Amino acid sequence: MYNVKIDCSVAKKVIADDMILTKGVATTAGSKMLEGFMSLFTSEALVRLEEKGYGLVGKAKVGEFGFDLLGETAVNGALTADGVLKLAAAEAVLANEADVALTMDINGSVRRAAAQTGLVSVKPTYGTVSRYGTIPVACSGETVSLMAKNVADVKDALAAVAGHDPKDGTSLPDSMYVTDAATPKRIAVLTDMLANVNADVKAKVDSAVAALKADGIEVVEVTNDKIAAAKVAWNILMSAELCNNVSRYDGVKFGYRTPNFTNLDELYMNSRTEGFGELLKTAILFGSETLSTDNYMKVYDKALRIRRVVVEEFKRLFQEFDAVLMPACSTLEYTVDAVNNDKYMAFNENFYTAPASISGLPAVVAGGVQLVGKAFSEDKLFTLAEKLEKEGK
Amino acid sequence: MKYETVIGLEVHVELATKSKIFCSCSAHSFGADPNDHVCPACCGMPGMLPVVNKRVVDFGMKAGMMLNCDINRVTTFDKKSYYYPDLPAAYQTTQWFAPVAVNGLVEIETSKGKKGIRIKQIHMEEDAGKLVHDIREDTTHVDFNRTSVPLIEIVSQPDLSSAEEVEAYLERLKSLLRYAKVAECEMAHGTMRCDVNLSVRPEGSDKLGVRAEMKNMNSIEAIKRAIDYEVARHIDAIENGTEELRQETRRWDDIKGKSYAMRTKETAGDYRYFPDPNVMPVVIDDEWFDSIKASLPEFPEVKKAKYMELGLSEYDATRLSESIAIAECFEDALSVCGNAKEAANWVISEVTRVLNAKGMSYEMLTLDGKVLGKLINLVLESKVSRANAKKILDAMFEDPELDPIKYAEENDLVMSNDTGLVDKVIAEVIAGDAKAVADFKGGKDKALMALFGKCMKQLKGNVDPATLRTMLIDAINKL
Amino acid sequence: MDREILRRLELLNQLKLTEAEKEDVLSFFAAREAEHKVLEAIDTANTERMVHVMPIDTVVREDVVVKMFEREDLQAQAPETDEGYWCVPKVME
Repeated sequence: MYNVKIDCSVAKKVIADDMILTKGVATTAGSKMLEGFMSLFTSEALVRLEEKGYGLVGKAKVGEFGFDLLGETAVNGALTADGVLKLAAAEAVLANEADVALTMDINGSVRRAAAQTGLVSVKPTYGTVSRYGTIPVACSGETVSLMAKNVADVKDALAAVAGHDPKDGTSLPDSMYVTDAATPKRIAVLTDMLANVNADVKAKVDSAVAALKADGIEVVEVTNDKIAAAKVAWNILMSAELCNNVSRYDGVKFGYRTPNFTNLDELYMNSRTEGFGELLKTAILFGSETLSTDNYMKVYDKALRIRRVVVEEFKRLFQEFDAVLMPACSTLEYTVDAVNNDKYMAFNENFYTAPASISGLPAVVAGGVQLVGKAFSEDKLFTLAEKLEKEGK
Repeated sequence: MKYETVIGLEVHVELATKSKIFCSCSAHSFGADPNDHVCPACCGMPGMLPVVNKRVVDFGMKAGMMLNCDINRVTTFDKKSYYYPDLPAAYQTTQWFAPVAVNGLVEIETSKGKKGIRIKQIHMEEDAGKLVHDIREDTTHVDFNRTSVPLIEIVSQPDLSSAEEVEAYLERLKSLLRYAKVAECEMAHGTMRCDVNLSVRPEGSDKLGVRAEMKNMNSIEAIKRAIDYEVARHIDAIENGTEELRQETRRWDDIKGKSYAMRTKETAGDYRYFPDPNVMPVVIDDEWFDSIKASLPEFPEVKKAKYMELGLSEYDATRLSESIAIAECFEDALSVCGNAKEAANWVISEVTRVLNAKGMSYEMLTLDGKVLGKLINLVLESKVSRANAKKILDAMFEDPELDPIKYAEENDLVMSNDTGLVDKVIAEVIAGDAKAVADFKGGKDKALMALFGKCMKQLKGNVDPATLRTMLIDAINKL
Repeated sequence: MDREILRRLELLNQLKLTEAEKEDVLSFFAAREAEHKVLEAIDTANTERMVHVMPIDTVVREDVVVKMFEREDLQAQAPETDEGYWCVPKVME
């Protein structure tokens, strides 16, 4: 579960995943490339949590550079129980090792873990929480994200970390935080996202809908194939940005250096070939190709336009609805066998998480389902999540 | 057959900011210890995020305005990817889609007259680090001090057609950018570097010839030699088939006086540009735009015309307006002394004399023109002799705080108004050198100079030479 | 997507794949290419690209030098340094 465990006696405990930089404590990004890497500074989000009295209990294992399905690509082996994949940060919270997990939501693994374990997580509005001191992968959509056992703990932690940071050029000015805490009345269920989920997930959605209805919320089924296309565009944007962001790891300045080289090209090539795992290499090559002269307009630029389409479609829905409910995954457990059979599941299961990733909208997972709202509507989403939480108890 | 040469330049200019473009490290790498101006971002470590230095945008806009460009009021940054040890993150943040300035025009003047050179664009970007190859035989040493120092790249259209025009264009860029105080533009310091794109075609042809690119040229003389060499090589190839011309990057060896094709990688040029998600668009609102516009200096030719209106010769006006430091020194001196001719003479002959003696460029002038004006006043008011004023000027270069009046008083350089003292000295000198007096009376004018010199020496130069001369002759004639 | 493009991509990204990995990557590319049809079906002719999801402008910083890190610390984890420099095998200019 841990890459590093720290003795900590404070009341409020936080575990940071291994994409969050911590001065004096190694941050490895789940990669051989960064084994033992010591950052010279600590992430802004963790600094803010510590200022509010949280204490760091350790660093949770992640899959290599945090964009995989559920930690299966971690260099030191995936975390599993009975042949089922587990996300270390979520397990630490479940095991009461930590009250809150501070994680990077790059490609939805945190939301998948929360949905599968019954934890509550929030992927805040893009720009709400500083990304200063996080290992960059897919900068245009990834966010610092929080996970805990209940809505109240997630809310507290978010309040501690949110707010403008001049060290992050994409951090929003405080004047933009007009929180929408109005009482939610109507929500939409995105039926496009229900077609391929299994019965367990369907049951979670059904019971969430029932709970909300019981609480007087109007629930309307909607379909939107444009939002459903988000995943395809996100795969392109994420891979291209990833390719660029991990090009810095080359065996020269820090991190893994191959012993096998006689010249600079071999140093680069062998350090990266030996230091990186297969899924990462695949994503690098794919991302690189989307940016080639031949493909840029057809593929990358197209994906950027689809991002706007998705944002516009959500905007239209939010004129009518307070939130859009959808699953966060197609199944409540991923077996090791299933991932061995399909190494690229992360590029398909993100069907459920990519809409919020690509659009920067806030997403709260509770009661095994995901609620996506308009920018700054976290409080409204928390209100809905509390209803689901109540139902679960 | 007659040929014409088609040349386009890409000029990189290091901007004179204090800090780097995206982080707060010092941007002054010249002479620093290796890797002393470096942070995690500068050495490619993950986790820091770029935050744009306002002055870089100020200077980018200013440069654009000086070169008559349109300013993109929304300007954005993009990433350019390639592997090289001087590029720590393996990408350079630059401007590909919406550079700060586009569509400019620079007027140059050569022996063939005036000509406009169109500017395609000016973009802001970060510099790369420096590689040192001569410390160990088997190793290249990497210094990231220069990493992320802000640059602008000025891309011209292929409007240049000779080495002479290229020189005039580069000199003009230097002058304009120095006028705007955005850059040092010293090729010897690497703060101005130049890529030359050149092709040759039969005169009148509208089809471009095969293009050769010479990268990182760092002296105007070398550029001129390289252009002449390349033109000859191209014509030779076209006429005599000595080689097959290829579109390629070439390296100029200035010592051997030859250019060589550089080995290029198969993947060279595949930069995979894309918009930087971490840098939001820079939006230049009216207030920002107007404040930069208002801060622009007068152009050199405007100053020159103004100086000629003050009654200065064209030569003097040109000399004074060549360099902004010289022009400002002159204008400050004039504002205090009110005498254009005097101020011009002092700046052109005396200030440049000291600069030359010290081996300083005009741009390094830090002398306060207003203080120079005070000094000129002392001369005009006959308080200090010209000769002694030059001594004071030398001292002013050593001590920028120096007050010329106080210095003159403390060092006994104040002109004597005491004619009694002058009479006394003249009497002593005449009495002490009867031979010289006799010689002078006998018609040897040279003898007077000896007596004059002795008097001047005893008076420590603190007398008006013309007055002394008259008094001396009077005294001899009275004998 | 063919093996020639893949070979070039490996070079460009300083990676060397095994034969088995190449097969997998090609199948990955094929899957991605297939799903791109979903995007092509959406008309974006009148849609502007969106790089940044939040409509904010750059907040510039003042031009002030702040030294926060020491070379010794930055180089503490370097695979190879010499006299304050990072080191790589000799580069031919």
